Amino acid sequence: MAMKLVRNIFLGLVIAFFGACSESFLDTIPITEKTDGNYYSNPEEASEALVGCYDALQLIYSNGVAFPVAADVMSDLCFGGTGAGDGDGYPMIDEFDKNVSPSDLNMYEPNWENYYKGIFRCNTLIEKLDQVDWGKQEDLRFEIEAETRFLRAYFYFDMVRLWEKVPLLIKPSRANIPQSEPDDIYTVITEDLLFAIQHARDKQYSQITSTQHGHVTKWAAEAMLSRVFLFYTGYYGKQNLLGLVNQADALGYVEDVITNSGHGLISNFADLWPGASTYEAAKAGKPIDENTYAGETNKEVVFAIKYTYTSDYNGNTDGNHWLVMNGLRKMNWPESGYGYGWGACTVIPEVYSSWDTSDARLEASIMAVVEEGIDYTMIGDVKEYTGYFTKKYIPLCDADGNSIASELGGVNFMIGQYQDYFVIRYADVLLMAAELGSANALDYVNLVRTRAGIDPVVSVDNGNQTSHESFRAKSIKAFHGKCLVILTSLGTEGKAVLTSSSTGLESSSQEIIIK
Amino acid sequence: MIPPKLSYLKLNLTTGQSIHIFWRFLFLTFISFFLCYSNLFAQEKSITGKIVSALTEDPLPGVNVIIRGTTLGTVTNLDGEFQIVATPSDILIISYIGYETQEVLVGDQSEINVLLVEETTELDEIVVIGYGTQRKKLVTGATVQVKGEKLEQRNTTSALQALQGQTPGINITSTSGQPGEGMKVTIRGLGTIGNASPLYIVDGVPTGIIDYLNPADIETIDVLKDAASAAIYGNRGANGVILITTRQGRPGRSQVTFDAYYGVQNRQKKIDMLNTREYAGIMNEQHLNSGGSTSNLPFDLNDLPAYTLEGYASTDWIDQMFVENAVTENYVLGANGGNESSSFSLSVSYTGQEGIVGGSSLSNYNRYGGRFNSEHKIFKDRLTVGENLVYAYIQNNGIKVGNQYYNTLRGTFNTSPLLPVYDDDGEFFNTADKTILDQHGDPYWYDQEANPYASMHYNNQNDRNTQKLLGNLYAEINLFRNLKFRTLLGVDYYSSESRSYTPIYQLSVYSFSNYTKASQNLEKGLGLNLDNLLTYSYTYNAHRLIAMLGMSVQQYNGSWIYSENTDLAFDDLEHAYMNNATNVDNPARMKIEGAPHNEDKLLSYFGRVQYDFKETYLFNATLRADGSSKFAEGNRWGYFPSFSAGWIISNEPFMESTSGFMPFLKLRASWGQNGSSNADAFNYLAPIKFTQATYAFGSVEGVSINGAYPNRLSNKDLKWETSEQLNFGFDARFFSNMFLVNFDWYRKVTKDWLIVAPVYATAGTDAPYINGGNVINSGGELALTLNGSTGGFNYQLNVNGAYNKNNVTDIPTEDGIIHGATNTLYNNSSEFYRAESGHPIGYFWGWETDGIFQTTDEVQQHVNSEGILIQSNAKPGDLRYVDQNDDGVLNDLDKIDLGDPNPDFLYGLSFSCNYKGIDFLVIANGVAGNQIVQSYRSHTDKYANYTTEILDRWTGPGTSNTIPRVTNNNVNYKFSDIFVKNGSYFRISNITLGYDLSTLFKVRQIGQIRIYASVQNLCTFTKYSGMDTEVGYGFDNGVTDRFSSGIDLGYYPRPRTILAGVTIKF
Repeated sequence: MAMKLVRNIFLGLVIAFFGACSESFLDTIPITEKTDGNYYSNPEEASEALVGCYDALQLIYSNGVAFPVAADVMSDLCFGGTGAGDGDGYPMIDEFDKNVSPSDLNMYEPNWENYYKGIFRCNTLIEKLDQVDWGKQEDLRFEIEAETRFLRAYFYFDMVRLWEKVPLLIKPSRANIPQSEPDDIYTVITEDLLFAIQHARDKQYSQITSTQHGHVTKWAAEAMLSRVFLFYTGYYGKQNLLGLVNQADALGYVEDVITNSGHGLISNFADLWPGASTYEAAKAGKPIDENTYAGETNKEVVFAIKYTYTSDYNGNTDGNHWLVMNGLRKMNWPESGYGYGWGACTVIPEVYSSWDTSDARLEASIMAVVEEGIDYTMIGDVKEYTGYFTKKYIPLCDADGNSIASELGGVNFMIGQYQDYFVIRYADVLLMAAELGSANALDYVNLVRTRAGIDPVVSVDNGNQTSHESFRAKSIKAFHGKCLVILTSLGTEGKAVLTSSSTGLESSSQEIIIK
Repeated sequence: MIPPKLSYLKLNLTTGQSIHIFWRFLFLTFISFFLCYSNLFAQEKSITGKIVSALTEDPLPGVNVIIRGTTLGTVTNLDGEFQIVATPSDILIISYIGYETQEVLVGDQSEINVLLVEETTELDEIVVIGYGTQRKKLVTGATVQVKGEKLEQRNTTSALQALQGQTPGINITSTSGQPGEGMKVTIRGLGTIGNASPLYIVDGVPTGIIDYLNPADIETIDVLKDAASAAIYGNRGANGVILITTRQGRPGRSQVTFDAYYGVQNRQKKIDMLNTREYAGIMNEQHLNSGGSTSNLPFDLNDLPAYTLEGYASTDWIDQMFVENAVTENYVLGANGGNESSSFSLSVSYTGQEGIVGGSSLSNYNRYGGRFNSEHKIFKDRLTVGENLVYAYIQNNGIKVGNQYYNTLRGTFNTSPLLPVYDDDGEFFNTADKTILDQHGDPYWYDQEANPYASMHYNNQNDRNTQKLLGNLYAEINLFRNLKFRTLLGVDYYSSESRSYTPIYQLSVYSFSNYTKASQNLEKGLGLNLDNLLTYSYTYNAHRLIAMLGMSVQQYNGSWIYSENTDLAFDDLEHAYMNNATNVDNPARMKIEGAPHNEDKLLSYFGRVQYDFKETYLFNATLRADGSSKFAEGNRWGYFPSFSAGWIISNEPFMESTSGFMPFLKLRASWGQNGSSNADAFNYLAPIKFTQATYAFGSVEGVSINGAYPNRLSNKDLKWETSEQLNFGFDARFFSNMFLVNFDWYRKVTKDWLIVAPVYATAGTDAPYINGGNVINSGGELALTLNGSTGGFNYQLNVNGAYNKNNVTDIPTEDGIIHGATNTLYNNSSEFYRAESGHPIGYFWGWETDGIFQTTDEVQQHVNSEGILIQSNAKPGDLRYVDQNDDGVLNDLDKIDLGDPNPDFLYGLSFSCNYKGIDFLVIANGVAGNQIVQSYRSHTDKYANYTTEILDRWTGPGTSNTIPRVTNNNVNYKFSDIFVKNGSYFRISNITLGYDLSTLFKVRQIGQIRIYASVQNLCTFTKYSGMDTEVGYGFDNGVTDRFSSGIDLGYYPRPRTILAGVTIKF
């Protein structure tokens, strides 16, 4: 009896077991992740994806050699520097000579990877915008697209200047994309920026709410496009930007920023830079925390990469990871608020000595060890020590010598730095307008000069007017990652040939007919 | 030397330690108990008896009858009768060739008649195959069985370690010598660049590792090597299957056993680094060789900087890291027995192993285990129910044994001997402390180097415990005469907790912590499988058929939570819990994360037919269909067939002439396909990442808003990886089973690898798994066994060897290469291993050297066929590289295959014998034809120390043609064959001598009191200069890159162990 029962139960189970499991048993879903199948469906998700693109802006300089540092090292303003015991990677960049540091095989590889991460995020979002159900927020679509395309242009503009012929992707792709011609890359950059000018938010500076600072504006796009115009036409010796933007257009964009953006110069140049403002406070005999730093959202900032101190080693990249490279190597100087840094970009002494001492920008730009009375004991630890470090982007410490980044809550002084990178300041806009031949060029240049505490000039060099010294001054181009060559006519007719050369680089010549 | 003033170094008696002490107490109690008990009174008397065969009841002449523990004995006469004088406490050992030895207690008997049972030969033994068992004789695949006793007698912490060298074709390598670290197991060569681990099935339950098992709990390990055998586990059988059966009870005599051993471990080999004088000299020479002048030499050899009152330091950092006599111990108490209806087997155990690096506070392993197996027959054998359960509680902590940045030992190779361990205050020396000055008033000369010993103490304060419950409940019912139904519910549950503590410290400018930090995390997972089998056996005359039909459902769920916070109220590991972390306002230093593991589900149907005719013609066929949740609908199902056949040719009449010397010969052939689904879930979708994508809009620091982005590409077409294998073999026995030979030849093709082939950086996000890549492993395996017995002296000699050739035939990427990681050997080091068509997986790729330039002339003469100077920048003393393609330029095109880490040949040897209670065992194993890449020094750090090997460097013409001059950079250490060393070795891995005390003490009820002493890793014959020749470490880059091994960056060596133990059975 019992036997039969057991047997029947088991027979039942056999049938149940063999038959009960169907295909649907194998269906599983990810619990803590959304997927590209169901994401990008509403405006909130599109906005979130846009933040993901901005996140890449924090990423691009976080590893490898940051563009702003590399540009300074490659310029004639700085040596490579860094520590005596460090590898020779930075001197290698400075000297354009691979043999200086054979072990540094791929110094820019992380940057290359990170730029393409940013481009992938932008491309994906742009592609997915059509599948978003925008409802009544159709305007938002164009605003998001404008910001996304600005960011893509930003990435490509860095890349085309660092490597020139890079693979160009305007849609996500896993294929092996060949190198593109620079003109094709500039076309994408230009079209993206034109789109951004048309659709990005155009609120005046004073109307921007405190939490919205950092978003791309029409003004940022206009200024950026002018910069691209100037670089492209100057570097490639062209009259206009691929037929898309001519000089008048470019000038029109910056004039629009000057007239309509509400941005302006702040009165004290040193207040733009944390290190310069603490130094200024100390020099005036005040405690360094009573400085007059203008903050990261002051009216002069047209566009900045926003950093904060929350970076960690587990994937959060929010901080200014490159800033620690600059600054005083391995020593705090609490008297002026200078924090511990790695001493890259040691400034060439002639840059300091040839600078007009009445120019407020001198003290704000260069940390002069002897002149400022810094009792620097780590000289032997600095490679290519010159007595001068940069000052605009340096780590800070408090009066007790503690890292401000760590005090705020950063993991440490190396990745916890939070100072924003000012990509475009209003002063840049004024000078670009002057260079592009604005009728107000002289006023614009003098606005910048007088703010720096130096005498106005009577006329400016911008192609249309008689050249004056202003553009030759180091102070114009210091520590922005830009290089400028000025040819001065001797007044005789003939041909002038400018040849630029550097070890490890291909030489280039430019012929100029002087009449 | 002044001890560090650190509270965590105090000895606290934790729960673990008290249990541990309990075991030692138990051990001593047992010993003293037996010593007292054995003191019995004895009275001699005369005994007669007759010995007959249990089967035929014929009297057996010539049977040995010996009094245990003595040489006294006699032999039966032609009528099987004997006579002997003995005391009531004596035990008679009755032995006869071909019959099982019996032991009889004399007691008050005066006549002892014994039925001797014929010994079942090895051929009649039962081996475990997938979802069933089979008589060894009838097996048609390539499987191998290792008995639990063989594993246990090696006294290792892990069963896999004990398996090493015992079976041909299974390559087992330690990934690190740290207690509790895993073993790398490869069956018949690397079949994939992904996870090549075999599938483990413990008592019918699939699981990932078997570290939690005490070797004493294992009855048998059966390894299914060929595809035909493993195909029944289709879904994960591509890399072979290891079946473990834990000890089962048997009807019959009950037995209680107690095993204990205690030993000490020390390092096998020392590495000598430069001392301070040598170091300073080399630094000066480097400086001069790199263009420095004599005016600013780094060191004045007559006035070396001294930073403590003891004068200049000359620290031997390697010595500093090791401890002496680290303890290893093991205690197992087991009981088993049963009657016709119920049987059981139980055990409790404790295993402890201290690390030889850092000692027990930093590197330690404790395992507490319990096993509960029983089986019950109810309803007159109609229904059998039972369970097998193993529980383990593992407590361990360890130092870092990973890549160059996560390897505690690594720093010791690169730290200068000038660095003192402690400063004058007895604190760990901090090179960034500018108040510590030398005799000239200068601070420490190099503030980037950190005290590696202190760093080990500060950064390895962790504690981890894992609970594992693995087992099953099963029922089997005889439905009809030959139809059986079996159902099994398997459970594989684990939970794990770990904590860590970081104090505030500074050791150098880079090595510091500004705040105290604690982390606490928990993880758990539950795997369930339900197997249902219907088995039908049918016999008709000499035809026998067994058909099996089954289905299996598996699923896995789990979750984890991780938390981290800073500013602890109490500064030590004991208090490192989240509630003691006081930071509330700093989000960057606080972390709370948690997620479920991806669900993993498998649904399988399978069937098998086993047929034989006259036990001579054997045939097997299986088919398995597996559906996995890892793949998109449409690609979920994989089908894995197999066929195998055998012919016991010695049963044929025409073989009669040879049956005298070769009583058994079986030929085998098999073919089958297996699958692997070793990929992460949801690769058919592209996930959107929400974390770590913030941006700091606005004017307030520390405030960011969340973003999102797709962080991986998708691959909707992902499907099963397939492995196909052909196997031919034979098993033969010679001279009355004295000499056994097993041979197998195989060819294994693994195709459609599940790999994460790197995508171009331009893709902008992580790569998904793809199917692609083929590799062929082919080789042969041979095992020889010699058994013998003369005059009470029994011996067995096993020799086995396996040859494997690994050849990649296709890689699906554009350049046909899966590139290895960079930055692995030292900072900024380049790629040096890869997988590429025509080469073994993970071969070493670099420049070939051709000696050293002795003179400037030699540099100038090193030209290609067109006279182009190949190494224009070289100086005398630099390596001369071969320009393979003769284009006058040294670049990647000149890099060639410099060897690979996988041995061509694996072999093992064991010899065991016993004579009158004395037993002796030697086990040795070796590998040949493998290479090791050794890189102890960070060549881009010019101040890194060297091993004393550098003292033989090039210093002028004719001084050396192998070790280049020293320079400040890595000019001679771009990857070339100077990194590549021969990894072949032969090691005496175990020598054990035992003696059964019960031959001296005549104790009622006690079957055995065996005491033994053993040495593990006694000596290794090798040319390799590292601390251990068994270097299983490879760079594990998660999913993308797991195929490298044999990389010695400063390897935690396996210890030499000397131990003594006792086994008591009663």
